[in-house]
Amino acid sequence: MIQIKNLKKTFRTEEVETLALNNVNLDIKEGEFVAIMGPSGCGKSTLLNIIGMLDNPTEGSYKFGGHEVANLKERQRTHLRKGNLGFVFQSFNLIDELTIFENVELPLIYLNVKKEERRERVKEVLERMNISHREKHFPQQLSGGQQQRVAISRAVVTNPKLILADEPTGNLDSKNGIEVMNLLTELNRDDTTIVMVTHSDRDSHYAHRVINLFDGQIVTESQNKPITASVLS
Amino acid sequence: MLNLYIKIAIRYLLKNPMYSLINIGGLSTGIAIFILIMAYVKYEKSYDKFEGSSSVYRVYLDYLEGDSFVPGDAMTYNKTGLTLKEIFPEIVEYVRLYYFEKVTFIVGDKIFEQSSGSLADKNFFKIFSIPLVKGDRELALQEPNSIVLNESLAKKLFGDVNPIKKTCEIYQNGKKILVTVTGVMKNIPENSHYKNSFLISFSTQKKWEAFSKNDYELNWNNNNCYTYIKTIPSTNEEVLRNKIIDSDIEKNKEERHNIESIESIHLHSNKPYEVNENGSAKRIKFLTTIAYIIIIISWLNYINLYSTKFLDRGKEVGMRKVVGAVRYQLIIQSLIELMVLNSISIIIGISVAIIFLPLYTSFSGHILYFSFNDVINLLPTFLFLFFGVLFIGLYPAILLSNSSPIITLKKKINASSRKFNIRKILVVFQFIITTSLLIGAIVIHKQMQFMGKQSTGVNLNGVIAVKGEVIGVKNDSLLKRKFNVLKNELVTLPFVSKTAASDTYPGDHQDNLSSNRGIIIPSKKESLKKVFYNYAVDENYFSITGMKFISGKTFNPSVENSNTEVVVNETFLKEMELGNAKDAIGETLKFWNINWTIVGVIEDYNHFGLKKSITPMLIRYKDNSKNLLVQLEAQTEVEFAEVLEKIEKKWSAIFPVSTFNYEFLEKKYQLLYKDDKKFSDAFQIFTLLAILIAAMGLFGLTSYTCFLRKKEIGIRKANGASVYQVVTILNKDFIKWAFLGFIISIPISFYTMNIWLEDFAYRISISSGVIILAGILTLCITIFTVSGQSIQAALNNPTKVLRED
Repeated sequence: MIQIKNLKKTFRTEEVETLALNNVNLDIKEGEFVAIMGPSGCGKSTLLNIIGMLDNPTEGSYKFGGHEVANLKERQRTHLRKGNLGFVFQSFNLIDELTIFENVELPLIYLNVKKEERRERVKEVLERMNISHREKHFPQQLSGGQQQRVAISRAVVTNPKLILADEPTGNLDSKNGIEVMNLLTELNRDDTTIVMVTHSDRDSHYAHRVINLFDGQIVTESQNKPITASVLS
Repeated sequence: MLNLYIKIAIRYLLKNPMYSLINIGGLSTGIAIFILIMAYVKYEKSYDKFEGSSSVYRVYLDYLEGDSFVPGDAMTYNKTGLTLKEIFPEIVEYVRLYYFEKVTFIVGDKIFEQSSGSLADKNFFKIFSIPLVKGDRELALQEPNSIVLNESLAKKLFGDVNPIKKTCEIYQNGKKILVTVTGVMKNIPENSHYKNSFLISFSTQKKWEAFSKNDYELNWNNNNCYTYIKTIPSTNEEVLRNKIIDSDIEKNKEERHNIESIESIHLHSNKPYEVNENGSAKRIKFLTTIAYIIIIISWLNYINLYSTKFLDRGKEVGMRKVVGAVRYQLIIQSLIELMVLNSISIIIGISVAIIFLPLYTSFSGHILYFSFNDVINLLPTFLFLFFGVLFIGLYPAILLSNSSPIITLKKKINASSRKFNIRKILVVFQFIITTSLLIGAIVIHKQMQFMGKQSTGVNLNGVIAVKGEVIGVKNDSLLKRKFNVLKNELVTLPFVSKTAASDTYPGDHQDNLSSNRGIIIPSKKESLKKVFYNYAVDENYFSITGMKFISGKTFNPSVENSNTEVVVNETFLKEMELGNAKDAIGETLKFWNINWTIVGVIEDYNHFGLKKSITPMLIRYKDNSKNLLVQLEAQTEVEFAEVLEKIEKKWSAIFPVSTFNYEFLEKKYQLLYKDDKKFSDAFQIFTLLAILIAAMGLFGLTSYTCFLRKKEIGIRKANGASVYQVVTILNKDFIKWAFLGFIISIPISFYTMNIWLEDFAYRISISSGVIILAGILTLCITIFTVSGQSIQAALNNPTKVLRED
């Protein structure tokens, strides 16, 4: 699904040039659950943003589903993101002025899905995430765990092939964190590929594979034994 | 999608009540003021627009002054209309109007004074489209002794009875005429420069003792009527004007006939002998400018606040981009939000304007209304501003939608960044406008104050002019005797110190003043063709009005030829080249075929108020003038009421059948400035509101800047900055902008206010003090508006802020 070769990313300001990613090579297959780990500033989030097509690499190749996407324009990337990719952030990034229902509905609107169908799909996903009773509430009225469930709902409502999660439990207590990880595992079990950036060793155990980054380079890769969510909970 | 956008816009407003209040409040206040000013402007521009008015012109006289002609007199000769019609085929009708400031009506036992009426030619209704409720348009003014009343006067005179064929007596200067009602016309609209409440057929002149042969026999001697002509619709005004100017119909090289469109009179004509004080196109331009300034300030506020606030919405915009929104969708969203806010403000603004219209009407003194058509007329302005705002307001949306979602999501675009120049420009622009208005308001206030304090050369305090139509005393010498009895009795009353008599007085309607062109001074070779004004008074007039003699003295009634004695002012001496004041005494002047002798020279005084410069003035002697001037020494209102009541009693005792009225001269003199005072009040109120709106915007902007810089403030405080230092840092930018705005506003306001001041013959010069005062005020307003917010921000606990971040 994802093939990354000799990927480089540098950030330039007027005076300083920072190499955020240096010769990264990575393949991710469909249905995989990959965790990216490493210390702060090692390039985890940069890599995730490039995989999520929120950003372009400076050099190298990135193929998504066999298509080269490394040098696409913002508009083309947006087009490709729509429906194919879902995002979950540490700080949830829900829009405060929209209700839970409307937040989840948002990606479908941009996909031009008809109103009735949007309604059904949002209801369905909210029920699946066990949050449908709060659909008329606004984000601030929900706990952190609930907000992240909403954010996951929004990520999956388009049935994306790939979900990118940037420290999805970073702002949650352990109970809510486990709940979120269980949800991601369930999604993965239903064939959704997941790439997750995390600091948490415990969270990384949910992944099939753990990639360790250091100073913009992959230093180790390790396979986890598939474990069930219930074992860890 | 549209619903969602509107929903999000409204929710955003509700979530930030302070911001919404400032934004919508400021904008709708601006819109309301704009509408109110424009309603007044529309009213002023609506004068004399009636069916066919575009082909109606007033004929007036230009006088030769030096090498060029200047507008000399709004009145023309009784021969003007007919002559023009005979020469120029494009002139289809003409009408002459002889104006009565006031006449006295007697119907049965009813006796009362009625102002504003005219003698009118029978063609009146062919030119003016005023509907006739009763009577025949063609015939109503045909016969002598015919009168057409307006509806109010008809009701006043005859109640609900049909007034046609009813008769009434009219008195003018003691001369009676019996007239028959031949028509009732609708009341002439308020927005007419010439408002007649009655029309008497012109041919009545011949039957009325109040007029002489010179009045009704066609001649080029006395220009004492207004002439209006109607042309065929295709006539080109400029062509006709040139033809009339060139025609020299009266064969007089010193003056010429000219025309002006009736529609332009109210705002553009300010000639001697206007029927009423007209409006001023300049004032209207100033007011219109203020209206636009206010609405622009409000909209600038709106853009400023909206765009600053929008930049804080990086998370929302970023997330929209992450889930698939493309650029144009984000821009459309911003557009819709702007439109929602705009629309709410416009609706509130219009509603507020409608609510305040009655109050505003009483202030402006005109019945103003606001109709659907006016909204339509203002639509282009609104649309222009509306789309202007959308265009500028989209800037932040474009900025945000342009940047990568990660940047918008995580970093937030820094609204206070030095790169964000549009906001700075807008704030400085606002400062330029408000400071200019402030300078304008101070200048206008100072000018009005100056006019209040400036010596006019007369002292009219406590002087009243008593006047009335005396009925039934036909013998002039008897009337004179009775007046003398009255004068002698009045001075015996408490609080009455002296009396005098005069035909007119400073501040009185110009109609009561004669103007002459040309005077022969036998001691000089050539006759002088200069305009001078003259009126008649008795010997006590100068002392009661406080006029001072430079040489000579007042009239001496006991000498045989006192009737040919005249007193002139200094300007008269100068203009007629009569040398110094002492030498002028005894000099002979000849006009009206009479030899007059100068017995006194008075200091110049302002007969027409301080707006006009002093003209040559000649004052004749007459012992039976129509105004009885009485100097009252009363101090309190009770004393005034008491003495006025006594004066009326004395009057009634001597003249049992008469009307009685009085006017305070000083009050009437001040009325010369009434429109300027109103304009001054309006300007000050609107300036205050404009400053308020701008301050609201500044307040919003400051609170937002403080919010954006709270981390910086926290760090500074954690590192030892005092509250004072933090406040200084926060205030610095605003003060800098205010100062820049102030500097730029100086030449702008200097230029515009000098244009306004040109209208005043006596005016202040814009001193550096005015500019400095405006600068200090702007600075104070800025510091006051900004400091509340910055002090609060500076007092916040830094640990709290830093922890939050």
